[in-house]
Amino acid sequence: MKRILILGGGSAGTMLANMLARRGVETTLISESAEHLFQPALLYVALAGAKTNIVRDERRLLSRRVNFARERISRVDLAGQSVVAASGARFDYDELVVATGARADCGQIPGLGEIAERYGNYHSGIARARKLWEALDSFRGGTIAVGQASPICVCPPSPVEGVLLIDRLLRRRRLRDKSRLIYFTPFPRAYPARPMNDIVEPILKSRGIEIRVFFDVDRVDAASRAIFSIEGERIECDLPVIIPPVSGADIAYEPAAVLNPERFLIVDRATLRLKGAGGAFAIGDAADLPTSKAGAGAHLQAKAVFRQLMGEPAAFDGRTHCAFDFGDGTGTFVVSSYASPAVRYPPTRIKHFMKMLMGWFYWLSLSAFFEPLFDWYFAWTAPEKLSGRWPNPRKEIKADAQP
Amino acid sequence: MEKSSAGRTLVDARDKSCPGPITDLALAYRRSKIGDVIELWATDPGVRSDVRAWAAKTGNELASMEEKNGAIVSVLRILRR
Repeated sequence: MKRILILGGGSAGTMLANMLARRGVETTLISESAEHLFQPALLYVALAGAKTNIVRDERRLLSRRVNFARERISRVDLAGQSVVAASGARFDYDELVVATGARADCGQIPGLGEIAERYGNYHSGIARARKLWEALDSFRGGTIAVGQASPICVCPPSPVEGVLLIDRLLRRRRLRDKSRLIYFTPFPRAYPARPMNDIVEPILKSRGIEIRVFFDVDRVDAASRAIFSIEGERIECDLPVIIPPVSGADIAYEPAAVLNPERFLIVDRATLRLKGAGGAFAIGDAADLPTSKAGAGAHLQAKAVFRQLMGEPAAFDGRTHCAFDFGDGTGTFVVSSYASPAVRYPPTRIKHFMKMLMGWFYWLSLSAFFEPLFDWYFAWTAPEKLSGRWPNPRKEIKADAQP
Repeated sequence: MEKSSAGRTLVDARDKSCPGPITDLALAYRRSKIGDVIELWATDPGVRSDVRAWAAKTGNELASMEEKNGAIVSVLRILRR
């Protein structure tokens, strides 16, 4: 029997291991953490003070057929088909799937580490998310600047969601008229994908949020809370809410050419096999794909690799399905694929309700038991089926998403 | 995909839909020095207006923009950063 080795116990790795287990295929999954974090909920911990439990025991999420090893991987030898852990343990494999995710990397931006320590953020674990909630909780008025520090960010809707949820919080606390909210982005418009921007930008404007485009963070000064862009501009604020850049796991690869400059693995966008180093796959945030780093993609990539490992023809089509909370009880999804640009998908209360249920569905989806249901859902919401249905976004917004 | 040699960076963002090309351009800009040239290959038609807006905003020079083998090729000279 083939020895299948999965590196990483996030959503992609866990789902893939369980999909294989359901077909009776034994795998080994290596993760450096015994805990599994539902990352999308950090938004609500940091910006709404949510206290729900968003961490589960990884071992309990895995089928009994999965051999779980808690190790920190230090080296992957693709030619020799072996993986070495920091403890010295060695794992040989016939098939390797790398799903080691993305991590916040404040080191890329001078001064950002200090900002993250002082004010927290909602992209680097629970402690930092709680820190941001404390900073918001004690905020009594002034300027808050929200944005991403690099063009690559996990969950592209989350920077906009962040500023909208802060707007909601300030309104509820009757602090909005004492506050200035600035949203900055390295992109040419508030939301990078054009069709979604048609929906997002009017909403931001209607809530009095200032938009600063082409603001790509170069450095920050924690003492004066000033954010400087590569383009030569600056934003001064009382509370900086900055989403850090991301990079891939700190693992040495042989050959090293499989990594891009941000340490993500260069893969074929359809087969998800590493380019130039036949055999291994990379899925989820660890892969350098021309699509969003987000949960639905990780799910569908795990599925595409599962099918290939089972000897079935399968390819990843670049599908995204990113939930988007507009902070006013409405929400939507950013739906696209390699073949279809993002759909202009107007926000509704039902879609917001679906986003609120996502936490619950997430834990169910990891077991891979409900795959037929997810297959149906993703087919039902395919971008080809949705696109062109909402040609006039402004009209939709008036009817649907007044703040 | 990005290839660099002697101050000239070739950024291949063909077959990437919006915002892929502008993301790749922003990443290449981050790594560039004054005097460098970035050549961006893209197929998404939106790249025309985005690259023009980017050059105007950042104060860098759009030396040329033309169609080559079904792709839109923009050549940018880095003057400021």
